Amino acid sequence: MNSSNEPSTSNPTATIGAKSELLSVQHVSWHADNQLILDDISFAINKGSFTGILGPNGAGKSSLLRCLYRYLKPDAGSVKFNQQDIWQQYDAYQYAQDIAVVLQETPTHFNLTVYDIVALGLLPHKGLFTREQSSDRQQIDCAIKQVGLVDKTLQNFEHLSGGEKQRALIARAIVQSPSLLIMDEPTSHLDVRYQIQVIELAKSLGITVIASFHDLNLASAMCDQLIVLDKGKLVEEGTPQEVITSEMLSNVFGVCAEVSVHSQHNVPHISYFYGYDTHDKTVHENEHKSEFSHE
Amino acid sequence: MSIKVSLAMNRINHSTILFLTVSFGILSFIASLSLGAADISFSDVISSLVASFSPEKDVRDVVFFERIIWELRMPRAILAFLAGCGLAVSGLILQTVTRNPLADPYLFGISSGASLGVVISIVLLGSTISLLTPVAAFVGSLVAMLMLLMISGRKQSQQVESMLLAGVALSFLFSSFTSLLLYHTDPQAVTAVLFWTMGSFSRAQWGILWFPALVITSCVMMMLAYRRQLNAMLLGDESATTLGINVNRFRLVMLVLSSLITATLVSLCGGIGFVGLMIPHIVRYFVSQGTVFGIMLTALVGGIFMIWVDVLSRLVLENQELPVGVITSAVGSLFFLSLLYFRKNKA
Repeated sequence: MNSSNEPSTSNPTATIGAKSELLSVQHVSWHADNQLILDDISFAINKGSFTGILGPNGAGKSSLLRCLYRYLKPDAGSVKFNQQDIWQQYDAYQYAQDIAVVLQETPTHFNLTVYDIVALGLLPHKGLFTREQSSDRQQIDCAIKQVGLVDKTLQNFEHLSGGEKQRALIARAIVQSPSLLIMDEPTSHLDVRYQIQVIELAKSLGITVIASFHDLNLASAMCDQLIVLDKGKLVEEGTPQEVITSEMLSNVFGVCAEVSVHSQHNVPHISYFYGYDTHDKTVHENEHKSEFSHE
Repeated sequence: MSIKVSLAMNRINHSTILFLTVSFGILSFIASLSLGAADISFSDVISSLVASFSPEKDVRDVVFFERIIWELRMPRAILAFLAGCGLAVSGLILQTVTRNPLADPYLFGISSGASLGVVISIVLLGSTISLLTPVAAFVGSLVAMLMLLMISGRKQSQQVESMLLAGVALSFLFSSFTSLLLYHTDPQAVTAVLFWTMGSFSRAQWGILWFPALVITSCVMMMLAYRRQLNAMLLGDESATTLGINVNRFRLVMLVLSSLITATLVSLCGGIGFVGLMIPHIVRYFVSQGTVFGIMLTALVGGIFMIWVDVLSRLVLENQELPVGVITSAVGSLFFLSLLYFRKNKA
């Protein structure tokens, strides 16, 4: 597959080297309740890249992201940001100045407005007794404008639609002015229009982004680099062209699919076959239950 | 409407609301000095207040009603205001850091601890409420607080759940000890304890006011400083962590703050339920609370509400005082229910 026509500015495979490396994960393992959730994972993220993390449910995507945003401390191995260990050379407050995270958690019952949520992005940059300056307000206004929520500024966050909530959280991340944005399943529960909108918005920020995905076609179209996890192990890593293959889909996700080239974007495109057994690839007549070997 | 205009209007609204609330607070304060068993007119109250600020004040001029104002009603009104502020603010803190809209200063066993302290002091020292009672109540609530911290502070994950459950369990534990002790004392002590737990501002004196004033002012200042962190806690533990907050430590600090407020107030005024739960909710219906404005408004509304509760407690029965806790629960729940009803109809 021809990767020279890729629209993205940075091609991670072409810019290998410590200089452009923003985040490096080295032999990270983590377990919970005597069960190994992450098993010796190593990879690197380059500056300016958009990395997608793929894998079936329970593969360890969220746990891996939690290790990256310093919520979980790995049992073994290290995570380095700008060549500095995030647990030994950063504290939570310093790390929050460099990394913004968009999660699925949303506040309930507490009547926070969109403005309040977005303003929280200032937190890592403000002392306890500093007030909001007019420049801060401008920054917040700009971020709200950038995500297109101007007329919702003073609305209750809870009353927004799923896509608007996600955009408000991205606006908060913009105000945090990070060099790395981490998003845990930013497109789940969103309709197709919002899925594309949210990912394009994240891409348009021009910073390094790591996001976990369930929609493989979306990940293939939007990401420069993909990492595939299965049962806590890193099983594939590379460009979408390298990673998205029918073999990988069968081995990791247990589905039968044909991978072609997207007619418009020149990226791998997956067409799923329904009612197939992934192992012998024969159609089960009148049987719609497919076998998910990894569930 | 453009974003700038709407925000500017919002800010103007904030200052107007704050101004109106403060004005109403001052009015309420004067009203509480005027209303009571001895009828003192508004003009007398104001002239007495003005006279106290003029340099040529003659002690012989101090007449009977002035002594009522200055020695009885003023410290009472101030204590009521402080109690309202403190309970509202500590309710706000607890609801925020536990992300539980039902959290209340009394839910965490702090007032049961205070009651136990009072009962122990009464059983050991004789059957009346003495000067030692507030001290015993304070010690009791501090013990409850420390036990809660020891239980919930150790466990890092699911801290919120363990905190709430431990609070409820401790509350029942202390209550059972209290009942056990009361069962074996004389009926007079039981009456004394019962009246104490229903709350009253009648023990207000100039000499003790500095203590709640100091505790509540410093706690409110700390809350204002940590307002962004408090808001961030509402997003969830994980999101708050990614904004640079040490979530478990922050929650413990805030729990200590609100417990200190509660312990102080319980020891001076007895148990005054429902205010800490209700006032933050009422204010939250109208404004978002993690701002300087929201916190100040919560404190002010709590204080003003309590001033009027105190006035009612003195007026409802002739020559007798109704316990404050009775009024807060009755008025508070009715108001809250009507608010819920109207909200439901509006939606």
